[in-house]
Amino acid sequence: MKIGVYFCNCGSNISDKVDSVQVYQALEGLTDVAYFKINDLMCSEDGKQFLNDDIAAEKPDRIVIAACSPREHENTFMRVLTGAGMNPYLMQMVNIREQVAWVTDGVDKASAKAAQFIKGAIKRVGFHKPLEKKSIEMSPDVLIIGAGPAGLKAAITIAETGRKVTLVEKSPVIGGQPVLYEEVFPNLECAPCMLEPLLNEILHGEHAENIEILTLSEVVELTGFYGNFIAKIKKTPRYADLNQCIGCGECIGVCPVDIKNEFNNGLDVRHAISLSFAGALPNVPFIDMTACLRAKGEDCKLCERSCPLGEGIILYDDAEETVERRMGAVIVAVGASLYDAGLIPKLGAGTVPDVYTSFEFERLLSSTGPTGGQLVTSSGKTPESIALIHCVGSLDSNHKEYCSGVCCQSAFKYNLMVEHKLNDAHIYHLYKELVYPGKEEFFLYKRAKENINSAFTRYLNIGSLEITAAEDGRILIKNTLSEKGAIKADMVVLCPALAPSKDTDKLNEVLGTTADTYGFFEELHGRLDCAKSKVRGIYIAGACQSPMNIAQAMTQGMAAAGYVLSGLAEGKQLEIEPITASVDAQRCSGCRVCMLLCPYKAISLDAETRKSSVNEVLCQGCGTCAAACPSGALSSNHFTNEAIFAEIEGVLA
Amino acid sequence: MSNGSSFEPKIVGFLCNWCSYAGADKAGGSQKSYPPNVNVIRVMCSGRVDPQFILKAYSAGADGVLILACHPGDCHYKEGNYKAMQRHRLLLRVLNQLGIESERCKFDYVSAGEGDKFISIITEMVDAVRALGPLNKVIILDNIGYNTMEERS
Repeated sequence: MKIGVYFCNCGSNISDKVDSVQVYQALEGLTDVAYFKINDLMCSEDGKQFLNDDIAAEKPDRIVIAACSPREHENTFMRVLTGAGMNPYLMQMVNIREQVAWVTDGVDKASAKAAQFIKGAIKRVGFHKPLEKKSIEMSPDVLIIGAGPAGLKAAITIAETGRKVTLVEKSPVIGGQPVLYEEVFPNLECAPCMLEPLLNEILHGEHAENIEILTLSEVVELTGFYGNFIAKIKKTPRYADLNQCIGCGECIGVCPVDIKNEFNNGLDVRHAISLSFAGALPNVPFIDMTACLRAKGEDCKLCERSCPLGEGIILYDDAEETVERRMGAVIVAVGASLYDAGLIPKLGAGTVPDVYTSFEFERLLSSTGPTGGQLVTSSGKTPESIALIHCVGSLDSNHKEYCSGVCCQSAFKYNLMVEHKLNDAHIYHLYKELVYPGKEEFFLYKRAKENINSAFTRYLNIGSLEITAAEDGRILIKNTLSEKGAIKADMVVLCPALAPSKDTDKLNEVLGTTADTYGFFEELHGRLDCAKSKVRGIYIAGACQSPMNIAQAMTQGMAAAGYVLSGLAEGKQLEIEPITASVDAQRCSGCRVCMLLCPYKAISLDAETRKSSVNEVLCQGCGTCAAACPSGALSSNHFTNEAIFAEIEGVLA
Repeated sequence: MSNGSSFEPKIVGFLCNWCSYAGADKAGGSQKSYPPNVNVIRVMCSGRVDPQFILKAYSAGADGVLILACHPGDCHYKEGNYKAMQRHRLLLRVLNQLGIESERCKFDYVSAGEGDKFISIITEMVDAVRALGPLNKVIILDNIGYNTMEERS
């Protein structure tokens, strides 16, 4: 084997400390070393040209480059090798700058250490194999789960490039949580007015034909891997034709069945056929078949008969179906829910009248809500005082240890909205901590503070608050830690932490993604890659990853779309890095130790042969499996046992 | 025992590419010198460090072995560092049985920013192994993977 050694002086960075003559002498007697050449600055244009020409002339089998850290210029030299017609993996870099020249006292010691490192590389490089990047076909289409701000923004961003998006939403309506709000912080913009242009673009815009919206649907199975996923999606029937119905609403009024309206948090009733709320999109009603008289055996056809378009719009025979879609990437944007205030029973959620959670209160404030936006107590009275309890279940090791960062803004928003609706109402803020970061957020706090009817009181522990119905019909709020007087209010709004939505665990199981310590979808990296899950090709966006506001969710939706558009470019093939694990089937006993170790689910057991096999798309090349295989069947490309054994021998020779 | 003053221990250091190797580069950037006794072998992840590599190092003449990983929770590959940590603990029990002091096999965490920590780990390890003297035992790692012990001549 012909091995060439290149020694870079790095200007004088290396040559000041490492004597190339001493190094050369130390290598004498190594039979495979065909030549030893010195260059002043190998990463320079001249240096690269020298390397290129020299490789072409010498035609070595392997080369060793003693220079800077491979973390700096390994890729540079690999490209030179490729250009010179040599497989780039037949090179080994030796770090004699950062780890020798710069950190060793004395030329003799530094030169000896450099020689040891180089000997290791010479021994090792003989075991290098030429590796090739593989590429496979991939689908440019995308599945988005959740039609809230993050999912919608991702959908429209991707659809605008002409790519196909399947948008799966479990409820009958798109828009997510904020579509249920009247106004949003920080500047009390009208929420429906803000969202409607986006929703309309999704439904009827220029690129709408690229977006397939499946409402009342959920993903029940995902197989395959990045570039080639196959999803099974279960569609619950809507019982109305999404394409033909004009949304006139004639059918709704005639329905004789009243049920609790979950879209208004059960605060009023709706019919068995209904829209989620006035203005809900898609503007097509749905039938709740568990409540419909037809499910009880009656032959009620009032809704169908009332339809001005005649038969065929209301579809009583609509049935559940499972559809299959193929796509290259998945974006999870299922949002969050509120921490269950019922877990702090003394706060009276669901037991004391006129105690609401923030989501319930949003509907009370909404002109499409149960009271048409009027603030009235359950006894029909206009409230004279409202208590807003911040940090419900937040910043508390018994509940959720984090701060959601949005609840204070909601509470300050409520302050202003209540002020607008009820001029002189007293507003109490009971809080553990107040937060208002960001360029606009302080404004709402300032407004709330400036209201002479607002009072801010700090409490130490949510567990010491007791909210009960007082005898005079009002609500008594006591802090058992304090001997000072209690507060009485006509209405209480609990602002709980944002918590993972209840489907998170199930969806993680279906997708193979993971949950973080708090139960949210776990990101690949909290700062560098917070829109990537730990499964390649599955991205996460919005409050399902972490509590966040609408702006952040929209931004993360675009971030996820960015990953999809750059990684899964249309017409491009998926390149697979060759440094992965590989299996020697002869040696594999099928014990599955490797499978259980792999953090990327890249290893599976072939059903027929009962041998492990590595999915090269999913494998990231860490080599943890290779270190564990009891029969030596698993190997780590480029970091094989042979190569590392040889390097150990070399550095100690 | 050898003459402590002239004995220079040979140590093999397995460093993960993402944190510890970068930490070693960071130490280089600060241009502070440290003992040259550690021969670094770069692996992509500390999870790649097969206990056989460590035994091989002793058999090839190392007086000590150092495994450096990303800090818990920081592993580029999620959890390779935990596997490395577990394997190190198990291996220490074997090494103790073989009469190899645990100071000769050290596992620690170095982040990409911790150049100074890298230097102090290296310095302490070299001092500790120098104090112990050369490893007088040798592990014979034969081709089929069984490890046996002999007195080093």
